[in-house]
Amino acid sequence: MSETETKATDTVRCTIDGREVVVPRGTTILHAAEKVGVKVPHYCYHPGIPSRPAMCRMCLVEVEKMPKLQPACVTPVQDGQVVRTEGANARRMRQAVLEFYLLNHPLDCPVCDQSGECKLQDYVFAEGRKHGRGTEPKRVFGRDDFGGDVLFYGDRCVMCTRCVRFMNEIAEDPRLCVVERGDRSIIDTFFEEGLAGSPWAGNIVDICPVGALVSKDFLHKQRAWDLDHTPSICPNCSQGCNIQLHVRDNAVQRLRPRPNLDVNGYWMCDYGRQRYEWMNSGERIEAAMVRESGRAKAVGWPEALARAAEALRGAAAAGVVALASPFHSNEDLAATAALVGALGGGSLLYRSELAANEVRCPGYPGLARRRELAPNGRGAELLGFRRVGDEHASGDLEELTTHGGVLIVLGDPLLDADASFGTGAQAFLYANPHTSAAARHAHFVLPVTTFAEAEGTFTNFAGRLQRFWPGLAAPGMARPAWQALWAIAAALTGQIAPTTAAEAFRRIGRQVAELEGLTYEQIGPTGAPLPASVSGSVR
Amino acid sequence: MTRPEPGRASYVRAALKGMALTFRHLVNPHKVTYQYPEERYPLSPRWRGTHRMEVHADGRPKCVACGLCPTVCPANCIRLVGGEDDNGNRYPIVYEIDEFRCIFCGMCQEVCPVEAIHVGQHYENAEYSRDRFVYDLDRLMAQDHPVTHLWDPSDPRTE
Repeated sequence: MSETETKATDTVRCTIDGREVVVPRGTTILHAAEKVGVKVPHYCYHPGIPSRPAMCRMCLVEVEKMPKLQPACVTPVQDGQVVRTEGANARRMRQAVLEFYLLNHPLDCPVCDQSGECKLQDYVFAEGRKHGRGTEPKRVFGRDDFGGDVLFYGDRCVMCTRCVRFMNEIAEDPRLCVVERGDRSIIDTFFEEGLAGSPWAGNIVDICPVGALVSKDFLHKQRAWDLDHTPSICPNCSQGCNIQLHVRDNAVQRLRPRPNLDVNGYWMCDYGRQRYEWMNSGERIEAAMVRESGRAKAVGWPEALARAAEALRGAAAAGVVALASPFHSNEDLAATAALVGALGGGSLLYRSELAANEVRCPGYPGLARRRELAPNGRGAELLGFRRVGDEHASGDLEELTTHGGVLIVLGDPLLDADASFGTGAQAFLYANPHTSAAARHAHFVLPVTTFAEAEGTFTNFAGRLQRFWPGLAAPGMARPAWQALWAIAAALTGQIAPTTAAEAFRRIGRQVAELEGLTYEQIGPTGAPLPASVSGSVR
Repeated sequence: MTRPEPGRASYVRAALKGMALTFRHLVNPHKVTYQYPEERYPLSPRWRGTHRMEVHADGRPKCVACGLCPTVCPANCIRLVGGEDDNGNRYPIVYEIDEFRCIFCGMCQEVCPVEAIHVGQHYENAEYSRDRFVYDLDRLMAQDHPVTHLWDPSDPRTE
């Protein structure tokens, strides 16, 4: 094609199922169809995997003036082309392809974990034959432990090779391959090496369109249709992968990546994926407590907040120290900073764990398990918190242990604190979702929510603000920390406390000039980068 | 309604008519009373009573814990926790039906892909305490009453 011709027609106009669409030259039929809302069935094509083998034969569509059906995932649209995905030939072909898939499929949907989110189930239900015609016995492979968290049921496999290609092209760690030919072909690992130790292997469970690859952790745990999906942010490192919390019975059952091409693509690491149990922990503080003559007494929120405000005001003259956890949202941390500000200022500290090294995803630049194993260290720095402690989020508590004025601890479990922690403080406020022995000397213990139970934002390592939504119901009287801390700050200054998370976020603009005017609507479901003027260390 | 004036009507004829009916039934009794419990009312094959879980020959429940019955149950009376047994088969670790909550619609039997859970031809369920009405898996497997035959439109015998 000559240079001038390319310039003359950078876009092409075609008709798909009677709907006209204008797309850039080179767009595949599948993408063009997506643009006009026509979903072409497919197995082997995955938007996150570069290679397009066009081997599943599910996306075959009719193209006018072409004698045979064309695979929509690799055929680029031409100008004036007329494509029919619902033509009689295409339908007949899909039905035949599905019948082939079911020749050896065990139809064990009742015991299959994929059931309910299975593409084979969906397509056969929509377009497949009502009854099979096969009389031959089905070939049986049984199941194979692939190592790591992955279990392989060979009988259910449709040979789309998404898993093989993911390991080759995204994880760049070729550990899977197709062995044998014809109906005996099967996915296998090399020798007994397996997938153990691969930091990205969990993704092949997500991209498997059928139940061939299932998670051992999720095996037989819940049915897919029973799970509620809540958009959230992975809290296990500062990458801030967009995820979904899959929730049932008020407990997170598994984490799944949520596509966001600016952060994590379609993927997340196994490290983050496996760490969700703490969100379901039952060791929670459920009532606000006030220390009275040496004993902690459960009181209502209004009383706890009023008495805390009074005690903090009285003790502020001797200095204020706040230690926060970067597992808390920007809203919570900003409320802590606002409370310290209302008390006349003091030091803002945070501790977080640093892994020895980054675990990069070779096939998706920009995605890695970052060193900082907390979601909001960057947000804490931005809000004026200073990093203390060592790489295990411990140490540097000497100053706090002997501190004599106001001591505020938000979220930090204080595992390394000694028994006398907080005894010197005139007013020790401890706000934490989980119970901790270090709270024994606290004058005020406030039950607050985890990120999974509240709305808020995290700032990831690159300074990208991302929202998360509540997926769990908070236990007992627990409230978001920003609500409680803002209420105390408001009582001290006479301001009006924010009543919603969105309002609490807008208040951050008063503390951090870069966030001025930014709202939840502008951040949206996929996040927004901070203005370029904000710089800082990247962990 | 118009009634005859008091003292102008005779009730003899009506009384005799009533007595005639009584005597007719005395000599040709049309029995409606069953001598329960010696005598039982025959149940329809489509009678839907308390549940029964079918078992394999080796005593395992046929249930594979697919989760369809708790999903379809309109009364939300089935509690199911699935798991894996020693042979790698999916099976119900917990399977409970609250028979008080159950509305005996029979949809659990209809939806079951392995013909494990059935409603039964049974109605004698009296217990001394309410909690005994939550039937657990062992109890459902131990039930031995005949199971309900669902209506099959193509089979006239089930009509």
